[in-house]
Amino acid sequence: MARDRTEGWAYFAAQGDVFEGNGTWYLTSAEAVQFAHRHPEIFTSGPAFAALASPVPLVPLAIDPPDHLRFRKVLDPMLAPRVINRMEDQLRDQVRELIAEFSGNGHCDIVADLARLYPTQVFLTLFGMPLEDRDTFIGWVETLVEQSTSETSAAPPAAVMEAAMGLFGYLQTFIEQKRANPGDDMLSAVLALDGDEAFTEPEVLGLCFLFTLAGLDTVTATIGFVMQMLANHADVRRRIVDDPTQIPAVIEEILRMELSAPVTPRVTSQEVEIGGKVIPAGATVNLVLGTANRDPRRFENPDVLDPELADRGHLTFGGGIHRCLGSHLARRELRLVVEEFLRVIPDYEIEPGFEPKIVWPSGTHHLSSLPIRFPKVAP
Amino acid sequence: MKITIDESRCTGHARCVVVAPSLFTDDERGYGVVIGDGDVPADQVAAARSAVNSCPEQAISLSE
Repeated sequence: MARDRTEGWAYFAAQGDVFEGNGTWYLTSAEAVQFAHRHPEIFTSGPAFAALASPVPLVPLAIDPPDHLRFRKVLDPMLAPRVINRMEDQLRDQVRELIAEFSGNGHCDIVADLARLYPTQVFLTLFGMPLEDRDTFIGWVETLVEQSTSETSAAPPAAVMEAAMGLFGYLQTFIEQKRANPGDDMLSAVLALDGDEAFTEPEVLGLCFLFTLAGLDTVTATIGFVMQMLANHADVRRRIVDDPTQIPAVIEEILRMELSAPVTPRVTSQEVEIGGKVIPAGATVNLVLGTANRDPRRFENPDVLDPELADRGHLTFGGGIHRCLGSHLARRELRLVVEEFLRVIPDYEIEPGFEPKIVWPSGTHHLSSLPIRFPKVAP
Repeated sequence: MKITIDESRCTGHARCVVVAPSLFTDDERGYGVVIGDGDVPADQVAAARSAVNSCPEQAISLSE
């Protein structure tokens, strides 16, 4: 899995469409995963995230119906494509500036110099926070994400506590500031909700916290995977350099194959029969999106990156009521990165001898480094 | 041919809006909405099929 997800997912899928291992259940087929997505009353989300022991409610991911709808009704419009359209020029300028930092060098590390920085800048922009705080912010979030997703104990508790205190304190300060002086940003919009739609203080904090846990690391990881795939598939890369209108389609194919959050947990509220197996009530069930996206019953030649088949609907952003709230923003970030990067650096290769690897086992997938080289670009 | 969205299945991926912009538009929440009465002109049949394929919720159908 660390080097090659095709092999890793094949191994997973071979265990069956529905199977149990060490007390946890796994749904690996597209049909089984979709059944779970369509039945949030059976496959509940709230208890599944209890292990994170978040001090604030993780709105809206860890919220079940009926409250869930109340949150999504107001949050969906704040992250709708038409809202993202208004931010596009600003977000494009930002990615351009990041690329200009290294384009003259002839080499860079995609993860450290681009993928790690950009999603946090976008989040700070969206929430109306100063970009100067980017690096401090990244430090806190990386410590927390590592702790919450790693199966081996990572950062020592003291560092985690410090990061949590730092991040919560920072968010709290901004919430107070935005309450006093609202701006034209999403955080101000959330704070301005009133009546039945109003968020409580812990809910606002929980929303901010979830955004940082779910919206930064995932896009960082996917930028890494996209740039790796485009390095390894020079034919596909040339095709989209020649015709940038095909960039979104190619991104969809890469999203289908390389998932930053390939497994989502649920807990059953009742006994349920699925794929010929009976899962008891109260069981932890992992929806394996990584295998569902390569289910040969739904996808032709699923292990091949095929720009001609890029309209095949994948489950990378989940499905059902918890469909990734930030999917439109994530897709926009990815498109802007690829458009701007290939415009400046159409040809590049992974540093010879370097073998990109993901950390494994882990609940989330990402490359920790992706050094590349390319012809120097004159400023 | 006619294209429809099953609203009980749609959760706002909005892929249809991207692959078939002549047939779908997005509403304020970012959910795909069929433009007009959903009649598919001959030159939009391929786009309509693409919309059916691209929907992760399998919420879109194309009928004669």
